Amino acid sequence: MMFESFLQTGFGQDIVILAKPALFNLYFAVVSIPLGFPLAILFALGKGSHNKIISLFSRAYIYAFRGSPLFIQFFMFYSIMLALNRPLWKPMGVDGFILHPLFLGPLVLILNTCAYTAEIFYGALKSTPKGEIEAAQAMGMSRWNIFRRVTWPNMIRLAWPAYTNEVVFLFHATAIVYFTLPVINEQKDLMNKAGELFEKDYNLFLHFSVAGLYFLLISMALFWVAGVIQKRLNRHITGAKTISFRLFPRSRN
Amino acid sequence: MTDVPILNIKNIHKCFGELEVLHGISLTANPGDVISLIGSSGSGKSTFLRCINLLETPDQGDIELDGQAIQFSTNRAGKRTASDARQVQALRSRIAMVFQQFNLWSHMTVLQNVTEAPVCVQGLSRAEANDIGMEFLEKVGIADKADLYPAFMSGGQQQRAAIARALAMRPEAILFDEPTSALDPELVGEVLAVMRQLAEEGTTMIVVTHEMSFARDVSNKALFLHNGLIEEQGEPAQLFGSPESLRLQQFLSSTMN
Repeated sequence: MMFESFLQTGFGQDIVILAKPALFNLYFAVVSIPLGFPLAILFALGKGSHNKIISLFSRAYIYAFRGSPLFIQFFMFYSIMLALNRPLWKPMGVDGFILHPLFLGPLVLILNTCAYTAEIFYGALKSTPKGEIEAAQAMGMSRWNIFRRVTWPNMIRLAWPAYTNEVVFLFHATAIVYFTLPVINEQKDLMNKAGELFEKDYNLFLHFSVAGLYFLLISMALFWVAGVIQKRLNRHITGAKTISFRLFPRSRN
Repeated sequence: MTDVPILNIKNIHKCFGELEVLHGISLTANPGDVISLIGSSGSGKSTFLRCINLLETPDQGDIELDGQAIQFSTNRAGKRTASDARQVQALRSRIAMVFQQFNLWSHMTVLQNVTEAPVCVQGLSRAEANDIGMEFLEKVGIADKADLYPAFMSGGQQQRAAIARALAMRPEAILFDEPTSALDPELVGEVLAVMRQLAEEGTTMIVVTHEMSFARDVSNKALFLHNGLIEEQGEPAQLFGSPESLRLQQFLSSTMN
């Protein structure tokens, strides 16, 4: 009974109304983060590459996307994609897909987070203990095995705290997706919906507080997951007992 | 075939920028040799050792492993590099190295450190590698630490783990780069004891060291390096007993007391 009366309050109503829009913000983050991650590794290695052309290209890319506001990147991309509609997308019959915010939104977010993450990974790459890499070289390990078995585990451990920040920032950046991209039917995110509620009763504080609450809740989940992983990445230093991610524990023999 | 040395290193030169560190050093290691490289810091001992397994590429000179010469080529910028990466990897997998700072892989347990290269480079199965790994951990006396991470062990134990890691490759020779220099004085003995045992068993070793008693008692050949050149070489008894060059006399009198 108490629950039902809670749902009658303005606060309770907002929580119900904003649940579905929260899924849109979650969608943008959940699609962008895992796709930006492997790309960022490539750009980090690219920046550190001995090949001048690859290195220059990676540096330029990272600079461009870290050096300009995400908001402008959204506008730029949307206008470029619109301009290409007549010569390209329409004749190919993919205009509905390419210009859809649920495609274009993650695309821009991926390009953006990729640059920031690449810079984080590049820094970690440079901080990987030289002696450990030398030991691997001295054992005759191939370059790929050295990266996979020695560089990468060090790199991801060093990068993790900063990367956690980037993930949360990116999730919060999903708030501006629909400031540039068109809203299609009822496909609205937290900001759209809170704005719409605000226009009905001008209760700015209530509606955006509830929207903010959703951001807080999802961020808390992100922090928790990141923390569990962080603990595991540092287990050889702290000696902490951690959850094993291996589905089938490997036996010694 | 019996006459072919394991390592035949001829006339190694190495520059870092303008600074020429090695001015032509040669060395031959036969099976069972324990060769000590001594000299003051900056004399080029470590650089020379790192040239042997190509952690540094020598600017001139040849390296032969079992009579097979390593191929070098010079790129357009005039920099010399080993031309065959596989040949280099093969050389390194047959000549193991132990470092001053141990350089254990910190995110792996001791046993994982020891089994990594046998699995990854030599293609052993995990089970085979574990058996060999435990055998060598037993040998260096830290089998009970197999599941610890390096950060939870003393320096002496870490260095012994690093020696077990080198042994697990079953190499033809082992290079030691000042293996006890980073250790607390009371931990030096345990590492030297392991190295002594290896020498007695006929392991071919090239050791850069400041432990004069080890160089004198254990090795069968000693080289005194000064300013990137071999100033004096020979049997340790002769080298330490009646040094000919003034520099070696000075060096010994400053280190032995």
